[in-house]
Amino acid sequence: MMSTIQKDTEIDFVVRIGGEGGDGVISAGELFASAAARTEYHVFTYITYPAEIRGGFSMIQIRTQNSTVYSMGSHVDYLVVFNQVAYDRTVKELKPGGTLIYDPDEVTIEEGLEANVYPIPLTKLVTEISGSKLGKNVVALGALGHLFDIDLNVLEKLIQDRYGSKGQEAVQKNILALKAGYEAGVKIDWERKFHLLTNKDAKSQYMMISGNEAVALGAIAAGCRFVAGYPITPATPIFETLTKLMPMVGGRAIQLEDEIASISACIGASFGGLKAITPTSGPGFQLMGEQMNLASMLELPMVIVDVQRGGPSTGLPTKTEQSDLKYAIYGTAGESPRVILAPIGVEDSFYQTIRAFNIAERFQMPVVLMTDQSIGYRKATVKIPDLSKIIEVPNDVPAEDIHIPSPERVDIASRITPVEADLSTFKRFQATENGVSPITVPGMAGGQYLATGLEHDETGKANYTPEIHKLMNKKRFGKLATLSEVFEKNSPEYEGSDKAKIGVIGWGSTYGAIKEARQLAEKRGIIFRHLHPKVISPLPESQIRHFLAGLKEVVIVEENYTGQFAHFIKGKFGVKPIEIHKAEGVPITPEEIYTGIEKVARIVDEENIARL
Amino acid sequence: MKRTLQDYKSAIAPIWCAGCGDYGVLQSLQKALLELDIPPEEIISISGIGCSGRISHFINSYSLHGTHGRAVPTAIGAKTARPDLTVLALGGDGDGLGIGGGHIPHAARKNIDITYLLIDNRIYGLTKGQTSPTSPLGQKTKTAPFGAYEDPMEPLPIFLSYGVSFVARASGLNAKEMQQIMKEAIAHKGMSIVYIQTPCKTFPVIDPKAIKELFQPLPEDHPRDNKMKAIELAFSQKPLYTGVFYQEQRPTLEDRLQTIMQTASKKNEGGKAYSVEQILKSYA
Repeated sequence: MMSTIQKDTEIDFVVRIGGEGGDGVISAGELFASAAARTEYHVFTYITYPAEIRGGFSMIQIRTQNSTVYSMGSHVDYLVVFNQVAYDRTVKELKPGGTLIYDPDEVTIEEGLEANVYPIPLTKLVTEISGSKLGKNVVALGALGHLFDIDLNVLEKLIQDRYGSKGQEAVQKNILALKAGYEAGVKIDWERKFHLLTNKDAKSQYMMISGNEAVALGAIAAGCRFVAGYPITPATPIFETLTKLMPMVGGRAIQLEDEIASISACIGASFGGLKAITPTSGPGFQLMGEQMNLASMLELPMVIVDVQRGGPSTGLPTKTEQSDLKYAIYGTAGESPRVILAPIGVEDSFYQTIRAFNIAERFQMPVVLMTDQSIGYRKATVKIPDLSKIIEVPNDVPAEDIHIPSPERVDIASRITPVEADLSTFKRFQATENGVSPITVPGMAGGQYLATGLEHDETGKANYTPEIHKLMNKKRFGKLATLSEVFEKNSPEYEGSDKAKIGVIGWGSTYGAIKEARQLAEKRGIIFRHLHPKVISPLPESQIRHFLAGLKEVVIVEENYTGQFAHFIKGKFGVKPIEIHKAEGVPITPEEIYTGIEKVARIVDEENIARL
Repeated sequence: MKRTLQDYKSAIAPIWCAGCGDYGVLQSLQKALLELDIPPEEIISISGIGCSGRISHFINSYSLHGTHGRAVPTAIGAKTARPDLTVLALGGDGDGLGIGGGHIPHAARKNIDITYLLIDNRIYGLTKGQTSPTSPLGQKTKTAPFGAYEDPMEPLPIFLSYGVSFVARASGLNAKEMQQIMKEAIAHKGMSIVYIQTPCKTFPVIDPKAIKELFQPLPEDHPRDNKMKAIELAFSQKPLYTGVFYQEQRPTLEDRLQTIMQTASKKNEGGKAYSVEQILKSYA
């Protein structure tokens, strides 16, 4: 049974399991991913599920590679389908020569399919064991276990962990189903190309977490000890994770009656001195608009997470889209400064969350962290940061010296409070040069102040005179100007050759797909450089101008219908980008991006020839 | 050093109309805080929008004047974050019964230990006289030029049904009684509402003299723990009873969060809170 791990081969394959919601598709896929994560390889999962509790098409895709996985891939190498709908909807994405496992009692496959096909009677096998159709997912897991040479003990342990709370009877039934699937695999003479043998030492320093969990863990690491929220797909897992973790670390988690109440509670908690967060998605984010303004006006720190989903309105609750950007940047009446950050993946969600708190606290304003369903529900292997390198930044360290949190170093910043000696002359909203004025915390004697949503003078007193409105706008926006200067000093966020004539700009979850498209393009002789700003607003303008310099064509890739980021870039930099949009509720693939860029490359070549 | 009433006044002078009932509410509150001997820096006052919403400007405390209707959820956040402090929510009938009315039942379910002073003048005064949720049927207002066409809300029985653990009514015209009720409300552990009825001088809905005669203290033998009796008396229109209709002791949100925290870290060494390192490693 001993197999050797293929050290020198490039490991890169995609497994997809599809079925009906309620079939346990996602459970089976996550268990497979967990098993794969216990090797030295890296995994990346992508989930799509129906908005209903049961029924509808549901699927999970797991990509495994030697090193960090950046995207879900463009094709499927191994496809497992439980029913006809799943087969019909996904078979076109199976690579020619790929492997198809299907339940012959449920699925009729087309003749002449260019694939290795293996019928396994999943439903029949599980019915023989338990008399019920439930558990065919675990039969499939068993078969995959054999196909990928996963230690059966590892799978049994995972099943114990997953179903243990349902009682030993449930665990035993599942283990029998697992073994039935494994045995079915043994009987098949299939090519076992990849061997996912658990390597104990391989990755004990890694967490296998979703993007949503990464945000929750980032908040905890940043010292956030207050969460208020209202459940909304696909942001709910952040809230669920925080409701579990907060009391474990001595923090407080409360569910409110709606999103307005949730952000209001965050304002109250932040006023009280705690680092506060509220996770939400588009519809809830809109409800928060008025209170986001208030937080900006009262100059209170807080982090709002928008895990974007397909819109408008109730839209596509369980699908991905990047369509809340304009609302986040410009939305709300009146002019209120805020910062928009967009993590590029699961690991980055952890670090950008910490960064969001650092900015919110240091600059006393709301920071919106924009992820989306595809990052939120994606699971990936993430290295646990070296916690000895977490540094609490003292208040006298200037903002530009605070490091952007990264695996190498995690700086944690807090709000600047006045020293006691200064309280006699304390003006809460003092119009300082960089816009930041020290803030007192309730309980601090002599630090009492009024925070009002009305325009106010430096002491906090309501005042609507022209001079004061001008002064206080300057103060509030002065913080953004200061932040812009800080962001300009960061190292450029782009990759690829300076000689490239094509530049591709993306934001958020499309990072991995664009990166892979670039690698794919290079193999085929097309070079482009890739900018992926994590700070969306205020944009580091001189860096972007540097990126744009010398380019013949700029391509902007985003997952929405109208090209929201492209509008933003066009307005700021006067460029005329070629826009690649995808608004189908599913992530754009490296192949799709490559196809678009190939066309652009042809235009650039023709222009060159024309000039000759 | 003994504090005086001055210690509870901010540097900002009230801007209400001459003869406005809100002056009396403010002073009764300041006196109640003084008598309870709560240091100003340990008070958080959170108010909404409206004439009475301005009240937080005039109290020397950590004061937050937010948006319309959100004083209660904002106060929930403040008290949850800072259980060591006294947290007040303040606002009028439009703020608390109109736009923000949906928040009260949920605050009651949490039994959050805040005191909510709901100051009802039965009209939108700040915006110069539009219909409020408690404007009487037929009342001519700027938005009901032919008379109000909705029945007014009856707040006290609603608060009792919501499960607010301390429910009282005060007349804004009786400063001494109002102050006494406020003291009890602030001292109460849990969600307390003092429903204060006070006339608007500029847009009078009801004749102050007539209403003054309607107020009458609750019977001395009124059992505070009898909710059905409280509801019955709360519906009475003649007289309008003042005093504490209902009070019960039950765990506050903070009590329950403490229990949750103990449960959550029970398995850790010595029942201590987990460190960030422990949390991250648990995901390995």
